[in-house]
Amino acid sequence: MRVLVLTIVAFWLAAAQASAQASSQSAAYRAPRSFDGHADLSGIYQAVNTANWDLEDHSPRAGTMWETGAIGSEPGGQSVVEEGAIPYKPEAVAKKKANFDHRRTADPEAKCYMPGIPRANYMPYPFQILQTPRGIMFVYEFASANRLVNMGKPEEAGSDTWMGTNNGHWEGDTLVIDVTGLNGLAWFDRAGNYASSHLHVVERFTRVDPYHLTYEAAMEDPTVFTRPWKISMPLYRKVEKNAQLLEFKCVEFAEELLYGQYKKQPSK
Amino acid sequence: MPACFLLIGILLQAATAQNYAPPKTPWGDPDLQGMWPGNFGVPLQRPENLGTRTTLTDAEFAQKQAQAKRQAQADNEEFAAPDAKPGINPPSYWTERGTPTRQTSLIIDPPDGRLPALTAEEQKLRKEARGGKGFPGEWRGEAASYEDLNIYYRCITRGILGSVIPVVYNNGNEILQMPGYVVFRNEMIHEARVIPIDAASSKHPHLSSAIRQYMGDSRGHWEGNTLVVETTNFTDLDAIGSNGAGYPGDPGHHSADMKLIERFTRVGPNTLNYQATIDDPKTWTKPWTILIPLTRNEGYQLLEYACHEGNIAMGDILTGARAEEQKKENDSSK
Amino acid sequence: MRATLAIIFLAVVPAWAHHAFQAEFDSTKPIKLVGKVTDMEWINPHSWIHIDVTNPDGTVTNWMVECGSPNIMLRRGFTKRSLEVGTVLTIQGYQAKNGQNRANGSSVTFQDGKKLFVGGSNPDIPEDQK
Repeated sequence: MRVLVLTIVAFWLAAAQASAQASSQSAAYRAPRSFDGHADLSGIYQAVNTANWDLEDHSPRAGTMWETGAIGSEPGGQSVVEEGAIPYKPEAVAKKKANFDHRRTADPEAKCYMPGIPRANYMPYPFQILQTPRGIMFVYEFASANRLVNMGKPEEAGSDTWMGTNNGHWEGDTLVIDVTGLNGLAWFDRAGNYASSHLHVVERFTRVDPYHLTYEAAMEDPTVFTRPWKISMPLYRKVEKNAQLLEFKCVEFAEELLYGQYKKQPSK
Repeated sequence: MPACFLLIGILLQAATAQNYAPPKTPWGDPDLQGMWPGNFGVPLQRPENLGTRTTLTDAEFAQKQAQAKRQAQADNEEFAAPDAKPGINPPSYWTERGTPTRQTSLIIDPPDGRLPALTAEEQKLRKEARGGKGFPGEWRGEAASYEDLNIYYRCITRGILGSVIPVVYNNGNEILQMPGYVVFRNEMIHEARVIPIDAASSKHPHLSSAIRQYMGDSRGHWEGNTLVVETTNFTDLDAIGSNGAGYPGDPGHHSADMKLIERFTRVGPNTLNYQATIDDPKTWTKPWTILIPLTRNEGYQLLEYACHEGNIAMGDILTGARAEEQKKENDSSK
Repeated sequence: MRATLAIIFLAVVPAWAHHAFQAEFDSTKPIKLVGKVTDMEWINPHSWIHIDVTNPDGTVTNWMVECGSPNIMLRRGFTKRSLEVGTVLTIQGYQAKNGQNRANGSSVTFQDGKKLFVGGSNPDIPEDQK
């Protein structure tokens, strides 16, 4: 009798272990392969969070123009910064605060300037990743920004740009992009978080299941921050059958803000 | 006699295209990928005295080459001539003039290499635009607002054709491919056109006609080794010309109903023929076609052209106009 | 017939017609500046060189000089480090219509008359950094 019970228990344990193994194997997702055997990250994605409003924890707050009512107000959100807060040097905190206070006109997004890296990846619009033999293309809607990630021998920038110099390589199924040559003029978000032209960003894109990428970006700028810091968030794949990027040139919507004061005034 | 030459010209072109079979991408599409910078020096419209001739004679071409050589020598002079009178442009060597070719015009159809006539409706529209001021094009001496400047000075776009018709610099064009997509990147003004490729265009129908875009909405398919791209959903806010701006002599304003059909064909290892047919019966009485042969140059680096971000000139043009108005006012009140 | 050959090859679009320099600069206000480079902005659509010009009365004015698209120079191998701060340049061009200390740099040379960014790299850069 005891042998029977033990046998049954043994079989049950074995079955439990087998099914646990099976589910852990199915939980280890393997992305489909691109034409070159690497993980295929191609697709249209979008961030769904408030990172573009403010990378750090923030309560809902009034916007910069009461005339737009609640539409222009700023929703609350949780920090995407892994350490919680951005580690500014004491002398850099004042600049961040000044940016925030003047954000209606100082935010480069308001002027329709290209958002730079990492911000382009978490603006609230779809973007597309295209893996090609000539490199990996990221195409963004806002300001027609885009970047071609060089997957060959790393190249150095001749000058600083808005979207940076992007050198990528694979670490297993993770796409790692080393971004240098940023011009220090883009912000991280609408709250005025910023860095200088010494900013160095290392991004990691991993497809964790058919519908999500995990995006991580590590920031380093010893002239502004006391130490490196990192953000992370999921990126959601757009599954609509008709998903495509639309044009969002936005220059014509920023001209009045930028140049309105220089127009000819109607004569009295 | 001229029609005979034209026919032969077209047949030769077709034969060459058919003879060359480009290599395939790893997934089996014709490989058009590469850096294909444009080459400046061929006028859009053929000088009238050349009639239906599509290529220059040896003598004419030799003269063109000599002219280009002289210009390059002048540009590369190490020392500035002490008595030279400076112009109002940047230094002349700050250009990328390209190499001379034998093509007499970019327009290959109509056979005279010139634009078809405008419809009566379009002529009226151009005359009456902006209360009689006409569409913004080349600098007309007015800068009451940024809207008086054309779409290129405003750093908005050059439009699809304006972005590929060569100019004096930054003619970078790059083609990238992946299964199901072709990406056409141009240097100015940093657009990347993502074109879905389908054998059955029903899989990726065009956007609804209620959505309009400066660069329209493109869909592509293969016809043999030729990539055919059809673009619709345009606005009428850009103009056709080397800079989407509409200078005198440029095709200029088009309607939002324009349909653009581009044909990309590799005719040799290092030559890609870009052909575009503009079909806009509201504007031109006939469709017309341009041919721009593009030559590969993998050493050419396509660099970021952040036009709007650095558009200091816009502010200066407007404040300059205000300063001149103020001066006139001051002078007249004396 | 032969006389018409000369006009065949001129492109319809004159060089630089795409930018309204006439709108920005005053052709009645030619300037000649000699100054020390304080900054070079490698930006589009046109790069800007900032120079400190010492006026006859000893005061110093900072001028901005507009050149061409940096992409051309970058493709020729020049980089953001190619024009060192402190380099003395001679600029000839026209002043901005709005009266500000801005000018177009139609002619930009070193003191010996050598054109900036023509031929080899900037001679002011030490040999071992080229």
